[in-house]
Amino acid sequence: MESEVDLVTPVERAISLLSKMDLDVFDVTATYSRSISIGILGKGIKETSSLDDLGIGVRAYKNRGKGIAFSQSLDPADVEATVRKAVAFAKMAQPDPYFKGMPGPSKAPEIMGLFDGEIRSLDLEMAAKFVKAMLNASEGVRVGAKFSGGMSAGYWRSHLMTSTGVSFSEERTHIGAFLSPTYREGDDVGSSFEYDYAISLGEIDFLKIGKRSAEKAVGQFGSRKVESGVLPIIVSPDSSGSLCSGLLEAISGESAVKGRTFASNCLGKQVAPEVFGIVDDGTIRGAIESSTYDGEGIPRRPTEVVSEGKIMTFLHNSYSAGIAGVETTGHAQRGGYGGYVGAGPTNIRVRAGDSSLDEMVAETKRGILVEQTGFFPNMVSGELSSTIDEGFLIEDGERGHPVRNLMVGGYMLDLYRNIEAVSKEGRELGKGHFFPAIKIGRVKLAGK
Amino acid sequence: MRDLLESYVKKGLGSGASFCETRFFEERSNNISVENGVAKTLGSGIVRGVGVRVIVGDRWGFASTNVLTRKGLDVALADAIGGSRSIREYGGEEAKVSDVKPVTDTVIHDVKVNPEDVSPDLKIKKVLEIDKAAKAYSDRIKDTFVTYRDVLTKVIVCNSFGASIEELTPRTYTYCTVISREGDNKQVGFEFVGNVAGYEIIDAIEPDKFSVKAAERAVKLLSAKPPPRGTYPIVVDQRVGGLFVHEAFGHNSEGDLVLGGQSIISDKVGEKVASDLVTIIDDPTQPNHGHFVYDHEGTRARPHLIVKDGTLVAFLHSLESAAKLGGQPEGSARAQSHHSPPIIRMSNTYFAPGNMSFEEVLEGIELGVYLAGSQYGYVETQKGQFTAKAEEGWLIEKGELTEHLRDVAINGLTLEALKNVTAMGKDFKMEFPGMCGKLSQSMYVDNGSPHMRIEGIVVGGRR
Repeated sequence: MESEVDLVTPVERAISLLSKMDLDVFDVTATYSRSISIGILGKGIKETSSLDDLGIGVRAYKNRGKGIAFSQSLDPADVEATVRKAVAFAKMAQPDPYFKGMPGPSKAPEIMGLFDGEIRSLDLEMAAKFVKAMLNASEGVRVGAKFSGGMSAGYWRSHLMTSTGVSFSEERTHIGAFLSPTYREGDDVGSSFEYDYAISLGEIDFLKIGKRSAEKAVGQFGSRKVESGVLPIIVSPDSSGSLCSGLLEAISGESAVKGRTFASNCLGKQVAPEVFGIVDDGTIRGAIESSTYDGEGIPRRPTEVVSEGKIMTFLHNSYSAGIAGVETTGHAQRGGYGGYVGAGPTNIRVRAGDSSLDEMVAETKRGILVEQTGFFPNMVSGELSSTIDEGFLIEDGERGHPVRNLMVGGYMLDLYRNIEAVSKEGRELGKGHFFPAIKIGRVKLAGK
Repeated sequence: MRDLLESYVKKGLGSGASFCETRFFEERSNNISVENGVAKTLGSGIVRGVGVRVIVGDRWGFASTNVLTRKGLDVALADAIGGSRSIREYGGEEAKVSDVKPVTDTVIHDVKVNPEDVSPDLKIKKVLEIDKAAKAYSDRIKDTFVTYRDVLTKVIVCNSFGASIEELTPRTYTYCTVISREGDNKQVGFEFVGNVAGYEIIDAIEPDKFSVKAAERAVKLLSAKPPPRGTYPIVVDQRVGGLFVHEAFGHNSEGDLVLGGQSIISDKVGEKVASDLVTIIDDPTQPNHGHFVYDHEGTRARPHLIVKDGTLVAFLHSLESAAKLGGQPEGSARAQSHHSPPIIRMSNTYFAPGNMSFEEVLEGIELGVYLAGSQYGYVETQKGQFTAKAEEGWLIEKGELTEHLRDVAINGLTLEALKNVTAMGKDFKMEFPGMCGKLSQSMYVDNGSPHMRIEGIVVGGRR
């Protein structure tokens, strides 16, 4: 993969122009990325794709009004036009009473292991071999599937400068693979998926993805409807990430501090039993969400977010920290060169408990093992009503048939409050996230 | 640009491709964000580049770049051709396309008021007026947000059949979100307008019928109750009906999912898949949010009859799915930008109206749930299981709407649900301008429906 595009010169040119325009503060970021991918559909490999992307984004503040502009061209004329647009908009925008400024420079030790030379040199021919091996591993479990999925790998580089003295470059790689086999036996369908993602090629086990996807798909044959009821659910490590992400989103950034989420008033409060804890750590070597600095140039740091069931801190960028009157926690997220800077978690590590998934199932008289569900609440009210996309009925301590047409409902804070056990084993994702199984008592289920 | 694209089509054929398509994409957008009476952010962006797609030795290769120099395009063409060659040894799906009669055309969608002719100051004034009306509705309004956005999309498609198409499409939007609060109880209401149109649709907004409606809904939801749990007959409004047809059935009719074995109706053409009351149409020629004249393969768009009186008639096609499944390409392939290849997308998808009044649709329901206002939905096409979330609802008791409900979601099995449609209203509306996500691509669509009744749907309640 090539990476000769110069990002520093266009950013410096934009900064130079902006510095003559009588602004409060401003920043400029440019990124270049290149990725390759193999697409799978039907019988197997269907297509290849290569993507080259670059762009520059400008944020300018005048009298606390914000103007944003971006362009997918680094030509000097386009850079100047982008700067002028952002500045003109900043001058028309009205003062944001909550905006306190941009942070200045900080020094932090570099987080290592975020770049993999093997991915940089990976070509489509080699990528196709990995994908074929993944498909073969799936067919080794059972032949006759129709597939969807694929893999992608890429390289990404950025440079950020601000009027407050922040200036740094980053480069990183990423790789991900996904496979969904679908088998049919008359009108019965066995379908599921498996995936993984990482910074380094060596972290991805294509054979395991292929094998596990087929095993999970075959396990979905014979799904049945079950009655409505109030039962315990055991959220497997494949699905507990979604359960925890909902809480972290609700305590992140502007929405959290402006009282617009279901957890806005939960800072310092007990929201779950002591067995439940979450650490956010963007400093883990080689992990998918790690970086030396956040999107505003603040050093990443490990953050104890939920300790023994109590919310210890919100996740801040400088804007939300300014409103809350605290220091930023280094959780600014910059979505490429588009100009938007939000706040959110990095590597999420749910604290391991002392139970196990097998013990949880064995101790459940009747309940549901949730293998795949998106816990998508109403973020304002916390009300939840989601389909269990993949799950199994538990009866007398044993995993029974797969379920369908079943929904889980309730309030997110009730779900956390009713956590009964956390497993000691779990799933590592991207070398950074850790999600154990979580058992929740008395959940409202809607079925036949 | 057209000449450059055509020259790279020839270059692709000269490099061993049996089919070559080059596509320029440019999207210019402007937006204004107002929060609680402050126009705190104004933004703009330009997305621009070229995508190249080839078939070499029966395999697809695609590459894209926003480096619009000859060197950048040379790299993209070489990547696409090299990519297709790199997978020729690995089996899988062969590439094929229908040979269609080539067309050369330029389409510019006219608007009454070009958004670029309206000053940002005037736009800010209008958005603030919309915001202010919502805020003034009640002292229980906690926060108001109004966002204005205009987008101008230019697509030029050239391919080795000789097609050379240019289409320029303006779209304009305003979204209003209102959060209400009473103690710890917080609720949210939405309203939005958007279409293939100019600033005239923003000028036409009367706050009393727009942001005040969102505010009123947010406040009324404070005293609404959680829905009951279980399986009920449901009645859906035009927005939820639109979401239902899009998620529950529309995706299953997409030819790429059919040929890829990801649809539950892949072997059901000519079979009964729904009740006699159900006719489903996808029509990109209608002047709604999913409107276009040519798709991104350069095929002229036509209305698609998918289900007629309960019988599956046809699928939506691209050049590839038409060639493999034996249908006619009628313009259903679109791409989010130059960075994505065209895939099969719905456009304006709807249930055709029946002949019942709303009261007749409700009639005879002893205990059921009425759902109104769409939030989101998704479907697992291979299993035929869908989920749809409504903004609000009402309990139906003895054919009458009674208790107000909030955050109502439903789940169903597509074929079961469509066969259980027992009433179809005549009050058709297509007013759900949205974005549909598929294979990491987002696309402009619209959905519509009359009021309709479906028996035996799971309602995911909290009591």
